[in-house]
Order: sequence, then C-alpha cells, then structure tokens
Amino acid sequence: MCNACGFPERPGAWTEAGAASLHDRLRARLVQGDIANRMLGPHGLSARDAGPVPGIMLSTRTGAAVLVPDLPTLWAEAARLLGAPVDPLDPRLCD
Amino acid sequence: MRLTILAGYLGAGKTTWLRHQRHIGNFVPAHVIVNEAAGIPVDDALLTGAQVLAGGCCCCAGKEAFRTALHQRADLSSRGMPQDVVIETSGLADPASILEMIRTDPLLRHHFTLEPTTVLVDALHARDQLMSDALARRQITVADRIILTKVDQASRSDIQLLLGLLQRLAPMARIEGSHMGEPYPLPSASAFVGDLPDTANDPLPQAHTLHMPADMNWTAFGVWLSALLHARGRDIMRVKGVIRTPAGRLLVQTVRGIVQKPEVIPKTSHAIDNHLVFIGRGYDTDRLEQSFRKFARL
Repeated sequence: MCNACGFPERPGAWTEAGAASLHDRLRARLVQGDIANRMLGPHGLSARDAGPVPGIMLSTRTGAAVLVPDLPTLWAEAARLLGAPVDPLDPRLCD
Repeated sequence: MRLTILAGYLGAGKTTWLRHQRHIGNFVPAHVIVNEAAGIPVDDALLTGAQVLAGGCCCCAGKEAFRTALHQRADLSSRGMPQDVVIETSGLADPASILEMIRTDPLLRHHFTLEPTTVLVDALHARDQLMSDALARRQITVADRIILTKVDQASRSDIQLLLGLLQRLAPMARIEGSHMGEPYPLPSASAFVGDLPDTANDPLPQAHTLHMPADMNWTAFGVWLSALLHARGRDIMRVKGVIRTPAGRLLVQTVRGIVQKPEVIPKTSHAIDNHLVFIGRGYDTDRLEQSFRKFARL
C-alpha cells in the first residue's frame, strides 16, 4: 500500500499497455485525460491526471472529486455519479 | 481420417486449449483448420501451421470454402497422404450444421470418421450466455465432450450451477475441466431447477471490422474502448485485433467486457495490423465507426 495515495500496488490496467518508455507513459497520461474529457464533458464531469500521485482525478461541476486508479474504474465511478454509464455510442456524444 | 470439431462460444478459449493440446502432443500431426467469421484472421498468429478460413462462418456463409478445404484433405488422403483434421470453428458457428454437412456429403462421409464433438465452455460467462442466447444453447446441445475453461477463475458454487445447467442441456456429454489447456478437477453438479427462458427473439451477433486509420492513437483508443466496454459489455461479445503501439504490436482481445492482458506478438505473425473485429449486437455499426473516429484519435 502506498502511504501517499492509498492505492495498493496493482498489476496495471490493460489500457496502460503499449507505453514502454517514460516519455510514452507521460504522454499517454495526458492523452488519456484529453480523450476522457470529450466523453465526460457533456455530462458535466471532468478528468485529469492526478499529478504527483498515480491515478486519475474525476471531478464534478460542484467540485466533488474522486481519485481513481485506472480507466475501467473511472468509467465505473462516472456511472455511479451519473446514475447511468457514459456510452460512447450515445448520439449526443458522437454527433 | 479422424475429424474433430472444436466449437465453443466467442472467447471460450478454443485457441488457447488447442494450442496447449498440440504443445503436449495431442492432435499432432493433425491438420488444423481455423475458421473465423470475420474477414481478418487473428488466430493464426497463435496457432502456427494452421489453415485459416476467414470471411464467413463455416456453418453458413463460409460453408462452401470449408467444404472445398475438406475435399482437398480427402484428395490428399486418396493419394496416400492421410492426415487427421481438427476444425476450430468460429465462435458464431452452429456445430450441428457442420456435422450435417459432413454427414450428407458422400465424399466426406467416406473419408472422415467423426471424433466426439468437443465444445469449450467458459466457466465465467457461460451461465449468462446459456440463459439468454440461443446460439450458445445450440452449441451445447450437440456436444459429445464439454470442456469447461477458466475454471480457476470461477467460484465453486457457480461451477456447480453451470454443471447442472449443462447436464440439463446435454445430458449425454462428458464434462471435463481445464485451466490453460491442462485438466482441472470439477466439483459435483447442483441440479438445475426451473425453466429455461425462451430465446426465440434473440438477435444473432454480427461481426464488424474496424479499420484503424493511420492517425489512430493507441492511448486514445484505450480510453474509448474501456468506456465502450463499460457501457456495452453485455452486447459487445468479442473484440479482437492487432494494433501497432509505441511498445510494439499488441494483440487485443476482449470477452464480454473483460479485456485480456494485451500480448506483444512477434513481427513474423501474419495477423494484419490495425484491424479490429467487433462481434456483438444491439448497436448500429455506423454509429460504432462514428464514435471510434471521434474518440480514438487525437
């Protein structure tokens, strides 16, 4: 368990594959936030890289924030906040 | 020549099981025919030396290509080169129609003796599939031998309930457990009580291939796919393909919302890069393309 962030060590989500170097990983974290926001934004949520601690910070418009370890957890948490999953095939998001 | 039909629902673990069987010397030196419902073969990257019939399920659209392949094996046999055949059907195939084809074709009937039809069943997902999906049920009902895969990941009581259901659907079949192709002990079955729901109106899953544009970004793709699987994990039954990433070529595979750890595959594999096969139902494929283009790029 990490003292700073409270997350136990974990094997890593599948979405983290494909970035071998430090440079790639850093870039991947920025891209992740950007793409996630395209889907979360219209629902009034936003995600950003948590910075010094591992994980993604998911925030609502009213300022409530939750730190999640990876993307699969991010979508589960967003669904909990919204009452329905964020569906990339939702016409309101795709058009 | 002996002919073995290896069937099982999408993602049941057919290739994994067959790969291990061949590794330990079963089905060697048999000729392996792999059938893929979609146009892009992926499994040949995992099974070396296999003949791949892609672009149609061998029980319907790809039936004639499949018949031709078997006639060629029969022809080789008449010229003194008999070799047993193993057919790995696509996950969408109904083994009954393949059996019927072999039994009614005079040439094939003469050359091949059918081994017990083997159906692989995913211990994690099969109960849901069998309760709701007509195709999953049809596959079980023709099985002579059922192999339960991923047994190590399912709970004991779930396996017992699944065994009860399987015995109800295929009372004659022999049921074995397997973990990565190795035999695995099974608990005793708990009897299935009640009625099976009707599946007559269930739409059959469709395969669709996404062609990745050059400006696709792997990370963006991961964000999109993880959201999609979270929202539509029940309807998107299978995603499979090879994607080029900064770390190499990754084999991406999902089964009902669960993503297998992406495997880096060798440069020599013939799998085609940047094509992704989606098998599922309940969504519009144009919408899928549109959503992919919007979110999986920078």
